[in-house]
Amino acid sequence: MIICPSCAHPNPVGATYCEACFTPLAVPMTSTCPNCGAPVRSDAIFCGNCGFNLQANPAIMPIASGVSMSNHPETEELPEPIYGATENLEVPSPDVEELPEDPAYQPHTITPMSPLPTPAVNKTQLQVHKAALFHVQTNTLIELPTQLPVLHIGKPNNLVPPDIDVSGFPDSDIVSRVHGDIRIEGDAFYLEDTGSSNGTYVNNLPLPVGNRHKLRSGDRISLGKGDKVSFIFQLL
Amino acid sequence: MQINLNCQLSNGNLPQGQTVAQRQLAIGVSAQRPPHNNLPLNLCLILDHSGSMAGKPMDTVKKAACELLNHMNHHDRISVVGFNHKARVVVPNQPVDYVERIKSDIYGLKADGGTCIDDGIKLGLVELAKGKDGTIGQAFILTDGENEHGNNERCLQFASLATEYNITLHALGFGDFWNQDILEKIADVGGGKLVYIPDPSAADREFQQLLQRVKAVGVTNAHLLLELAPGVRLAELKPIAQVAPETIELNYQQEGNTIVVRLGDILTDQERAVLVNLYINYSDRQPMVAITRVQVRYDNLGYANLLSSPVDVSARITADYRPTLQPEVQNHVLALAKYRQTQMAEAKLKQGDMAGAATMLQSAAQTALQMGDRQGATILQTNATRLQAGTTLSEADRKQTRIVAKTVLQPKPSP
Repeated sequence: MIICPSCAHPNPVGATYCEACFTPLAVPMTSTCPNCGAPVRSDAIFCGNCGFNLQANPAIMPIASGVSMSNHPETEELPEPIYGATENLEVPSPDVEELPEDPAYQPHTITPMSPLPTPAVNKTQLQVHKAALFHVQTNTLIELPTQLPVLHIGKPNNLVPPDIDVSGFPDSDIVSRVHGDIRIEGDAFYLEDTGSSNGTYVNNLPLPVGNRHKLRSGDRISLGKGDKVSFIFQLL
Repeated sequence: MQINLNCQLSNGNLPQGQTVAQRQLAIGVSAQRPPHNNLPLNLCLILDHSGSMAGKPMDTVKKAACELLNHMNHHDRISVVGFNHKARVVVPNQPVDYVERIKSDIYGLKADGGTCIDDGIKLGLVELAKGKDGTIGQAFILTDGENEHGNNERCLQFASLATEYNITLHALGFGDFWNQDILEKIADVGGGKLVYIPDPSAADREFQQLLQRVKAVGVTNAHLLLELAPGVRLAELKPIAQVAPETIELNYQQEGNTIVVRLGDILTDQERAVLVNLYINYSDRQPMVAITRVQVRYDNLGYANLLSSPVDVSARITADYRPTLQPEVQNHVLALAKYRQTQMAEAKLKQGDMAGAATMLQSAAQTALQMGDRQGATILQTNATRLQAGTTLSEADRKQTRIVAKTVLQPKPSP
């Protein structure tokens, strides 16, 4: 059952639109516990079945907030929705604020090196899933650096320096300086709007602040209204 | 006459590896323009002449009704029923021949007394029945007040009785003090249009528009037949709704494994769009998944239960799945979302939950904006802001909200 965040109507499994008010429903992500195989919520810290410490898993250690069991990609889309699972989407991740204060931090555009001491990542990432954003209006391909857990999308500012700087693209004035994030958790890429002025749209549907969207290859991301600064997400 | 059926899934692809998916099926139904003249109209005007109509409203309604006669063909039939707390026949069912005499009868209406809509409808149906053979039965019900002397339940019973006789009821609300709930239901059950006339001066234009609409009726008594494939089921809550030209929740019956939905009149110049919310259970053994067979059963030129050629709808299973929606279906989904969200806002308002209503109205405004309905979005947003500020909505605001939720407003013709 999926409870609609807008009107609280309980929807059956598989619903992508609320049956009552047709609000697009975010299908909550679940994964399986690596220890006992029981289904767990993707933001769980401990497995509810066996008590296994999910955060102790080295693959997910460096990612502070939302956590998914990245080594089980095929199970992540199991439609096992849980009431209130969308709550986890609203938690602002602490590392967003911390990053700019990190003296070692520099936007990847200057030095493509890992800003965080994340040896664990390098050890456990057996496959590096490469992804890219294809800017539709100028036919430019931007490869996403996968060694960063969070990529900030925006324009230069003194709070959160952007990893993906869109200020060079036409119509970039509708993009906020701190517009959104792409989070990389294992081999999954999530898009979040971090409070942009003109909004973020995925496949022409608005992505509310606090929700996150698991990107699939081919998704169209539009920054701001009017589909003026648009990217196609591609897995390479 | 031919029926055009245009079926489109919200996304014709299904992702590989899943077992259940929700899809919206948009079905557009229209009739082809006939080469020769259509059946004559059998129109009944059911006019409110209660005390509240006194003065300018009554005069403009009479004038508008007479103007309507000038635009009817001589083989059409007209009848006029007036009602206050009682109903009486003003013009008995007759061909539009003696226009001047009919007009003088209409001008004889005097405004006094209370309001009893159900008696008016009942007498209107009796008059329409006199000329029902070989005609297209239509009734315009115009009222300006609450159904204080009548019974709303009885109104709806008459409205559904009308559809059994293949008569379409259109409801016109005059001024700001009519009951939008009951009038909307009459129009929905009766298969017709709900019209809001905020100002007497607009009466003439709205009458003419409605006449244009009933003149464009191609076939009558149409039913949509959906034969669902195994593994496909309707959504649990209100799965079928009409979304264009106006939004109406449709009831359906199950006959065997076929789902039957009454559509009523099908117009030649305007497509009726129906949105069906479905769940598809599938396995990826076959590349294609059959979903449903769509057909329309209708009456035309005296022949009953004709069938249109069927359309089969199926989806393709793809590994390279993209969650993009067909833009047209997307717009229909948004139209229904706008209507439902506004309905929820009104329900919350009734419960006294002002904040909840304002939030819901705001999301309806956003939905309207998304579908490009700027005028509707402005009205909904204004009302949401008003609720947030703690003021109540006036009667006119509520009527307007209901109308913008149901339809996309046509820009006003420039004078």
